[in-house]
Amino acid sequence: MLWLERRIVAALAGPDDQRTGGAITEFVDTSFRTMPQHLRAGVVGESILLGAYVRLRRGPNPSPAAIVASMEQWEHHPIGVIRQYARLLSSLVIFPQQEIVDG
Amino acid sequence: MTRTIDTEVLVIGSGAGGAVTAARLAEAGRSVLVVEEGPWFDPDAHEPSSLEEFTARWRHQGACAALGSPGIAFAEGRCVGGSTEINMGLYHRLPAHFAAEWRRKYGIADFDDATLDRYATDIEKTVTVSFLPGEAPASSAVLEHGADALGWKSTEFARVFAYDDKGHGTKQSMSRTMIPKAVAAGAIIQPDCTVLKLNRSGRRVTGATARLGYADGSSELVTLRADQVFVCGGAIQTPTLLQRSGFRHNIGPGLKFHPTVKVAARFSHPYDHDEVPVHRVTEFDPFLTIGGSASRRGHVALAVADAAPSDLDRVLEEWQNVVVYYAAIRSSGSGRVRALPGLRAPLVTYGLTDSDLSRLARGLVHLGEVLLAAGAVELFPSIAGGPIVRSREDLGQWWTALTRSRSNLMTVHLTSTVRMGDASDLTGTDSYGRVWDTDNLRVNDASLLPDAPGVNPQAAVMMIAARNADAFLST
Repeated sequence: MLWLERRIVAALAGPDDQRTGGAITEFVDTSFRTMPQHLRAGVVGESILLGAYVRLRRGPNPSPAAIVASMEQWEHHPIGVIRQYARLLSSLVIFPQQEIVDG
Repeated sequence: MTRTIDTEVLVIGSGAGGAVTAARLAEAGRSVLVVEEGPWFDPDAHEPSSLEEFTARWRHQGACAALGSPGIAFAEGRCVGGSTEINMGLYHRLPAHFAAEWRRKYGIADFDDATLDRYATDIEKTVTVSFLPGEAPASSAVLEHGADALGWKSTEFARVFAYDDKGHGTKQSMSRTMIPKAVAAGAIIQPDCTVLKLNRSGRRVTGATARLGYADGSSELVTLRADQVFVCGGAIQTPTLLQRSGFRHNIGPGLKFHPTVKVAARFSHPYDHDEVPVHRVTEFDPFLTIGGSASRRGHVALAVADAAPSDLDRVLEEWQNVVVYYAAIRSSGSGRVRALPGLRAPLVTYGLTDSDLSRLARGLVHLGEVLLAAGAVELFPSIAGGPIVRSREDLGQWWTALTRSRSNLMTVHLTSTVRMGDASDLTGTDSYGRVWDTDNLRVNDASLLPDAPGVNPQAAVMMIAARNADAFLST
């Protein structure tokens, strides 16, 4: 996973991920590694561009709250691929997070 | 020098098409090798629709989508038994009017009602098609009650389920039915074997080049040599392999989905979550079907997060009160599968039409009407940002809210990328699945269906696979 992807997963799943030995991070990481390469390439491109934007706006070490705020903005962004990026990342975290809580 | 494995018949893929083909041919005395890209699990190894099942049996862990406006997420199984291992087990014969329409338009021989009924009856004996032995779970009865209140038609769909004396049901996927039948008749099943391309010599296919994986993580390149080859990888993988092997005539276009929208319905008291609802609202068949979905905590969370991320924690406090339902349409749009040079996964695109979007909005509103009539107190649609609906008067908002940019669509039914029929300008194979301009290469899976059937396609796939296998045996 890239810098921004790790930050997003940590911000959305932090305590749950630590409690489960990184199971949520592992699920997201495996999803990225197994998804079709052309889709992954698109996600990588967005992670690099949005990661640069986040570093510029919020500094090299943004807080989890700042990352969550960025995600909320992107979920309603006028550009479709940015909305889809935010939805993909949050879906990849929410499903394992809730399944693990349930388990 | 690669190792060579010889067989009379090579079946690539072990889902509803491949497993039926293998069982049929092996029982007729043919030497059959089935190669499956995914692993071979005990059917009871994973809880249905669980995180573990996603990781083990779903291709790409479920993270795959057709590109388009909007993109549409889709799911495929990747294990012995294919998508029959991950679906809900709903069983519905191919509606007769579609068979008649396809027969006329695509010139499909031996596709009359009597022939299809004979094969459907035969298949049903093996896979155990049944209804619930007792009362329907409350999550399923919701649809019946809602439809009754509105004066709409509804029904319980049959499933490929076997029930014990205590009423406990077990899904009769391919790994419980056709695969054991094929093995008992002498077929060899080779899991973890990815076919890279078919090998050709003029009009004949001599077999395939494949990569065979081992438990220690190593792999071996092998040559599979066969007299006859059946490609049964499903509507995405089959055209990809054929294109990669140089077959292109009507291979890949015409992809059909049943685009689906979902609603998470919150009730005032807890509901069951162990089984997927089996009732369907059939008032708007065949263009629109309303039913129930998997509703584990993770599914509920995903469904609510679409509409109202800020309400997620509140709703999850009583997540047992929430059940997820869907509306699926027959689409007038279509898509395409394209193999990409150097990449394993194909590019899948789908063009949703304006009338599809309108039909989906109508489906969403009707679904909302049923759920409110059955007692739901709060509805969360698969629309980014909602709106959440609490009364029938509010449902009208969904008509305008379901736009290309805000809708969140998915499908589990994929068909029609290598259509069959003697009208060669429209089809990729003849009436029995033989690829045009080849002598011994056949397709036998959901790719062959000329159009989406408006219902779960598994029954149609199995019936057609059996019919085509018999046609092959008679040549």
